[in-house]
Amino acid sequence: MIGFLQQAITGLMIGSLYALVAAGIVLVYKSTHVVSLAHGQLVAFGALFFWLFLGGLGLPFWVSLIPAFILTALLGLLIERLALRPLIGQPLLAAFLMTFAIFIALEGVFVLYLKGETRTLPAFLPTSNFIIYDLSIPINQLISFCVALLLFGAVSLIFKYTKLGLGMRATAEDHQLAQSTGIIVTNIFSYIWILSAIVAAVAGIATANVMDIYYMLPYIGINGLIVAICGGLDSLLGALVLGLFLGLVENVGATYLDPLVGGGIKDVAAYVVLLLVLLIRPYGLFGLVRIERI
Amino acid sequence: MRPCGVFDKSYTLDIAIIRTWQHWAILISALILLYIFPLFGSYYLVSFMNLLAISVIVVLGLQVVSGYCGQISFGQAAFMAIGAYTSSILTIKFGFSFWVALPLSGITAGAIGIIGGAPSLRIKGMYLAMATIAIHFVVIWLILHSEITGSFKGLYPLPPSLGGFEFDTDERMYYIIMTVMVIMTYAARNLIRSKTGRAFVAIRDNDLAGEVMGVNLYYYKSLAFFISCFYAGIAGSLWAHLITVVNSEQFTLLHALEYVGMLIIGGVGSIPGVFFGVLFIRILNEVVMFTSPVLAKALPWLGSSPAAALGLVAFGLAVIIFLIFEPRGLAHRWEIFKASYRFYPFAY
Repeated sequence: MIGFLQQAITGLMIGSLYALVAAGIVLVYKSTHVVSLAHGQLVAFGALFFWLFLGGLGLPFWVSLIPAFILTALLGLLIERLALRPLIGQPLLAAFLMTFAIFIALEGVFVLYLKGETRTLPAFLPTSNFIIYDLSIPINQLISFCVALLLFGAVSLIFKYTKLGLGMRATAEDHQLAQSTGIIVTNIFSYIWILSAIVAAVAGIATANVMDIYYMLPYIGINGLIVAICGGLDSLLGALVLGLFLGLVENVGATYLDPLVGGGIKDVAAYVVLLLVLLIRPYGLFGLVRIERI
Repeated sequence: MRPCGVFDKSYTLDIAIIRTWQHWAILISALILLYIFPLFGSYYLVSFMNLLAISVIVVLGLQVVSGYCGQISFGQAAFMAIGAYTSSILTIKFGFSFWVALPLSGITAGAIGIIGGAPSLRIKGMYLAMATIAIHFVVIWLILHSEITGSFKGLYPLPPSLGGFEFDTDERMYYIIMTVMVIMTYAARNLIRSKTGRAFVAIRDNDLAGEVMGVNLYYYKSLAFFISCFYAGIAGSLWAHLITVVNSEQFTLLHALEYVGMLIIGGVGSIPGVFFGVLFIRILNEVVMFTSPVLAKALPWLGSSPAAALGLVAFGLAVIIFLIFEPRGLAHRWEIFKASYRFYPFAY
């Protein structure tokens, strides 16, 4: 039982990272209806920028956060302005394909910078374990778990109570209607990409805290996308619940199923969950069902 | 669009693919050139042509399912892997000849493709694209975790032979690959003119409206996936017996994305576009391969071997530029060019 709980807790910690990555994708989808495959790159670059200042220049933790956020936000803004703005009014599938092209181009830049090496963040959080009833929880993971939950709360509050959030919700509903009530829709797009990039940077830093920065790091964006789709692309709550659930399934499944099939459940669990969810509830577990008309 | 002064005087002329004697002349001389190419082309060029032709077959399949039927599929590399492994297993472990294994691997990939395409019956667009990515990873995972596929080591199929003649070099395989490519292109070109092709286009343009008009969505979507995966399987089988090494590293998600990129650059919904797209991306790759050592020497911060990374950057940028400036792809430019010379001596 203790073993199961231990695995479950590790799974939840990893799951909170997936949820954070998914949150950025949900944010972009909610107001622009663009599904971003490129989000994993923002996550990876957020981690890399943070490493540049913390590990590379040796700045203190709080000081290196700020330029990392600014640079990632700038990258998000650039993606929006240069690549996605020209596609406004085109079919949404074109925008999806555009994000996949951005993913590949940025992956090239990422690999070019790392040259096959790995970067490890210096420990900036306490590395000891928190022991409760024989369960040990690494404190740094606990902190990133709490940060993830807080960030979810903050983003939900922004969406619900600020004027910017109201604008974003209006834009999500209908671009033309939003425009006619005086909301500058293109500006909202820029804001949403900046916000999503900052969430991505937080996710990247939290991820780099538990694993190395290497060329596969951007692929966490695919896991995030799976979480976002399973939870329903327009539901932040879905991203949180499914993110934690996926982390749980991967870890618990790996412990109990790996001996049966010879290992590697972790690599495939997410995709099986996605296929099942898509077959049962195509719009995600918490998503809004859209009715199509001719 | 007919050239000036050409009129269809009978129904046969009206439905012909090749309409004028100039067309016939170009086609026949191009085919002859294609088949005598290894006589004067260098070894490098011949292997490059082999790679091109195999990519063309894969992308033709993708064109049917994505370009004509409108179901975006990122699973093409995985289905190519299924074809390659089926062919290798049939020839190595069960002693089939290559000539039987080639169609069988296509059919196997197609049959699995129907299962893989099953989500398309409920979901579409971006959701389907994600489902096919999931299918890609599941297929590759299964290949890596089963005994018969040789797990991480992969398989080593033998080159095909016919009556004691071994097709063991790139020049010899060239004839098999080109013949298959020509047949497959002809089949695809005709398929999209048929009732089936029109049903595909109806599904692409509006699947609900298509269904109202009497297009059986389940049947035609499954058929589109079967055809596309059949093409991928055939290409995989050819690839396996050309390279004679099969492992999962040859069929990654990046390869699948590359095929979609070829489709976008060539032009969605056009058979000549497939050729343009494949040619564009492969030549771009070669250019990057040749220029990257020079670049690495000139700019030391790029590192010693930037070819792979620079290739990704160049490919991504090419797709971005095409999506913004020419979303209809190179095939659209080709159409404009054709229209202009067909109208000669008139302006329009």
